[in-house]
Amino acid sequence: MQSNAALEYDYSVAKLYMWTTVIFGIVGMTIGVLIASQLAFPELNYLFGEYGTFSRLRPMHTNVVIYGFTVSGIMVSFYYSAQRVLKVSLAELPLINLLAKIGFFAYLIAATFMVISLAMGITASKEYAQMEWPLDIAIVIYWVIWGVVMFGLIGARREKSLYISLWYYIACFLGVAMLYLFNNMEVPTYFLSGGLGAWYHSVSMYAGTNDALVQWWWGHNAVAFVFTVPIIAIIYYFLPKESGQAVYSYKLSLLSFWGLMFVYLWAGGHHLLWSTVPDWMQTMGSVFSVVLILPSWGSAINMLLTMKGEWNQLTENPLIKFMVLASTFYMLSTLEGPIQAVKSVNAIAHFTDWIPGHVHDGVLGWVAFMIFAAVMHASTRVFKREIYSKSLLEAQFWIQTTGVVLYFTSMWIAGITQGMMWRAVDEYGNLMYSFIDTVSVLHPYYTIRAIGGLLYLIGMLMFAYNFFMTATAGRKLEQEPQFRSPMA
Amino acid sequence: MTLTEMQGYAFFFLTVLLVVILYGYILHLYRSEKKGEMDYEKYGKMALDDELHNRPVELNPKVKNEEKEN
Amino acid sequence: MFHWLEKNPFLFAVGVFIVIAFAGLIEILPSFTNAARPIKGLKPYTVLQLAGKEVYKKDNCIACHSQLIRPFKSETDRYGKYSLSGEYAYDRPFLWGSKRTGPDLHRVGNYRTPDWHANHMWNPKSVVPASIMPAYKHQFKNIADLETAYAEAVTVKKVFHTPYGNDIQPSKAAFEKYYKTTALPEALKIAKAMKNKDVLAMVQQGKIPEIVALIAYLERLK
Repeated sequence: MQSNAALEYDYSVAKLYMWTTVIFGIVGMTIGVLIASQLAFPELNYLFGEYGTFSRLRPMHTNVVIYGFTVSGIMVSFYYSAQRVLKVSLAELPLINLLAKIGFFAYLIAATFMVISLAMGITASKEYAQMEWPLDIAIVIYWVIWGVVMFGLIGARREKSLYISLWYYIACFLGVAMLYLFNNMEVPTYFLSGGLGAWYHSVSMYAGTNDALVQWWWGHNAVAFVFTVPIIAIIYYFLPKESGQAVYSYKLSLLSFWGLMFVYLWAGGHHLLWSTVPDWMQTMGSVFSVVLILPSWGSAINMLLTMKGEWNQLTENPLIKFMVLASTFYMLSTLEGPIQAVKSVNAIAHFTDWIPGHVHDGVLGWVAFMIFAAVMHASTRVFKREIYSKSLLEAQFWIQTTGVVLYFTSMWIAGITQGMMWRAVDEYGNLMYSFIDTVSVLHPYYTIRAIGGLLYLIGMLMFAYNFFMTATAGRKLEQEPQFRSPMA
Repeated sequence: MTLTEMQGYAFFFLTVLLVVILYGYILHLYRSEKKGEMDYEKYGKMALDDELHNRPVELNPKVKNEEKEN
Repeated sequence: MFHWLEKNPFLFAVGVFIVIAFAGLIEILPSFTNAARPIKGLKPYTVLQLAGKEVYKKDNCIACHSQLIRPFKSETDRYGKYSLSGEYAYDRPFLWGSKRTGPDLHRVGNYRTPDWHANHMWNPKSVVPASIMPAYKHQFKNIADLETAYAEAVTVKKVFHTPYGNDIQPSKAAFEKYYKTTALPEALKIAKAMKNKDVLAMVQQGKIPEIVALIAYLERLK
């Protein structure tokens, strides 16, 4: 490590992931709006023949948004902020830097094949783990590369202690690795049958109830280790940096970390309440889901208190708006989740639209808002330019917030309405509604949801434009800003 | 002893153990700060002063530092 | 006492791993030995039914339909007896689903006919006027992949000892024989009950369209 006056942080990998964040964001959310509209207006199912039905597109929406948009956003934040909190530049480690770039292209190829295979209907059919075994292997390789890069960077650090964000990245790496491997254990049929049938087909190692247990152990913790843990890592770096305020209580952040790690894994059982998995696991899932409020709110309150004495920034800086609202939405959905995990509430809520409603106030309000703020903050440093338009950012914030509110309110009403109608009986104890009655009644809510989603997509397009213009036409900055990102 | 019973005992004792460790950690955090051994809040600065030329909050001793410290 | 945790990334990673692996170790792994027993009299899926299950997966019916009847009176009144763990013993993967945009299908074979399914997939509104389900007309043209389904049967017989007979063997010749003597007659029965001339003609020519396999699978759900 030679001292070098011109040594700078190397953002080339962060830059690459910025573009994929924007592209996958647009693609994933466009599909989302399309499938939301299909539920309100079924004629829209026939735009692309057999490839355009709701059922075929829905996994594409979830996978592109999770593995495309969100993972890209996480990588932007990692490749941008990990160097900084460790005080070591990727430029000092050419091998690690090369590996990170190889990782990016591996990611791009895997993501492309993921989209193609889902369009063709090649699927293992487990939610958020639909990819077949060849792609699973590609993903494992990609993940190992990320781990090598992370620990390589950590090994060369100048800062002795690891900042809390890195704790969360490490947890994200380990958690996803463990869960993904276990859930995707499958046997390729081609090799064991002496070369019969499709080469990419496989059959799950687990059957029935066991498969369900492993799947929701994964499904729930994919939410934990992709939508929560790394996003907390993002907010612990970007909110303090953008506001110039150190984390309110560093000790609280350490405690919430261990609390979250321990409790989150147990809560997976709440996806299987009233099913055929053993009762004690269901109860355990319920209880731990409620306990989960504590560490979640620990982080969220810590973030809000970080703004103590500086609340004026909320009115002046749209990036702070995004991040503060994101922590608020995080609090909302970590309270909503445990409520749905209570067995009696779950009896009504499960299988209804309240569940997608819950997911979306988390991902739209918390995950995506944090990613928008992080990418914008980083882009001023990466491109050494001012953010192209503050007013566009403000407008995006309000349009998307309206979109999220329309989305989750309509889905709350839809979910509870349908859940109640399914169980409604007349005075003689006979079911009052046929199934189709409970579908027809949802039409207005599906329409409102589609409008909410459309607003959010419009905001996404504004963001894409703003980002593109920042990267290419923003006013050049002489010096790197210390805290607040400059914007025109 | 059946498998379920073993699961029950394992769950109970390991949970107790982890809870003890967690509370031990809380105690450790606050006590070492009170005694003046550690200042955890200074680590919050890692996000704020994160330029390459900023001085690390605690220098990693493994890094041979030819750079002039200032 | 705890400084090692904050300063040593390796030990830290080990600590995190223990804490997160803990739940799986105690909760998930031990019960694997128990829950996988089939209920009495449960037969494995025929190859045609397996091929139908692949169509179910491919067109992703699971996005809107569950296969899990919960133990509430409102559900047993609507769908039939609540689901038992042992009924899923041959389901790899499980297809419980997580959303009911459409009704549960775990016992749909009890109250719908092949004829009804055929009309429903061709045009859902013809049998349920307010339906928001898309039509799946391509299932009447695409040929079901029985070879892959057969490969799956061979695999589960070998690896998981699923009780298939001697007609399931890892060779192309065994598959071709099975196709002619077992799969085609089974498909013909379904095709006749569907009352669709084109489909029947296809099966009589020795080709099995996806819809036939899918209905064979749906008829099995009881």
